[in-house]
Amino acid sequence: MAEPTLSTPRITSQYLDTFISRTIRLIGKVTQLRGETATIDSEGNVTALLNRDAHLTVGNAVEVVGKVNQDLSVKVLRATDLGRDVDYTAISAVVDATHRYKEIFYAE
Amino acid sequence: MANYGYNGGNYSTASYGAQGGADGGGFMGGSQQGSQEGGGSKTYGKDTVRPVTIKQILEAQQPHPDSDFKIDGSEVTQLSFVGQINMISCQATNNTFQIDDGTGVIDVKQWIDSDQLPEHARPLPKEGEYVHVWGRLKAFNNKRHVGSHVIRPVSDFNEVSCHLLEATAVHLYFVRGPPPGPHDGAMKDGGGAQGMFVDSYGGAAPQTNGGGKQLPAKLSATARKVFQLLQSSPQNNEGLHVSMIAQKLSLQGNDVFKAGDELLADGLIYTTVDDETWAVLEY
Repeated sequence: MAEPTLSTPRITSQYLDTFISRTIRLIGKVTQLRGETATIDSEGNVTALLNRDAHLTVGNAVEVVGKVNQDLSVKVLRATDLGRDVDYTAISAVVDATHRYKEIFYAE
Repeated sequence: MANYGYNGGNYSTASYGAQGGADGGGFMGGSQQGSQEGGGSKTYGKDTVRPVTIKQILEAQQPHPDSDFKIDGSEVTQLSFVGQINMISCQATNNTFQIDDGTGVIDVKQWIDSDQLPEHARPLPKEGEYVHVWGRLKAFNNKRHVGSHVIRPVSDFNEVSCHLLEATAVHLYFVRGPPPGPHDGAMKDGGGAQGMFVDSYGGAAPQTNGGGKQLPAKLSATARKVFQLLQSSPQNNEGLHVSMIAQKLSLQGNDVFKAGDELLADGLIYTTVDDETWAVLEY
């Protein structure tokens, strides 16, 4: 099993540069939609390059599974709309736990 | 010992040795009963649901085939986890879902109840949807899957965050033992046995050693439990016997011995009337 490639660590914008060319999960609030790209606020702005299936709504939270490009934009592989009723503090706690106790979350 | 008098009725020189054996046997019987209780609680008492991440499931240890899986050194039976459905494949007898929670991917099989009326059947979750899964870890042909009883769609995303944090907390509980908490009475809101334990030890510590004495972090969870029991149970200066501890904590005797060895090595407890009777070392 090619196990390490199967994990998609949960990150926020601060972690982007340590995950270049890896597949990650990022949750944030959609702040702007411009056709093929969107800006997502995940404790800092992130540019997401959307695919055709992605249906984002400005103001809603979205979870993006995607690959981090060299310029720290994220190429979206899957986007899941999470609605508005999302606790961002809990999400940032999960990201913190993910990297603090990575033994149960992802392989380096 | 209760049937001493009963045996006494048949008292004879021939049965004296046997009775001596019975007396010793009475004790052994007790410890055997204890271990049987432990055995009983192994299937029922330990059949608890543990929140996990899929990475933990994939890395669960199986000491030998057909034995229970272990995560962080403790046996797991029922699991609960949350993830997104990557793929669904429907077969005649079961539905297989490939679930991804960001830490790994695992197959979840749910058997189809053929007796169920079609109108009562739940609608199948869709691909891409988050679901909460309860089930047992199974291994078949070296491939792991989870046999699931319940798969429920997640309607509020906060459940996902909550689950992942819960899984982390439980992982840390098994790796590091119960949260130690600060020395001062700040643990009071924690309540429960752990809170009391920390309080009582924390309270005793400053008088003994200038507050420097806390349970070492490397102590196993079992050792902590044993120490807690020794400290909380009413006793004379003889302390408690291993079989008593095993019975009270529904543990196997050898687990208690291992815990005792840790505590003895750290000078937290000492042996009293014999090697198998321990009391808390307080000075």
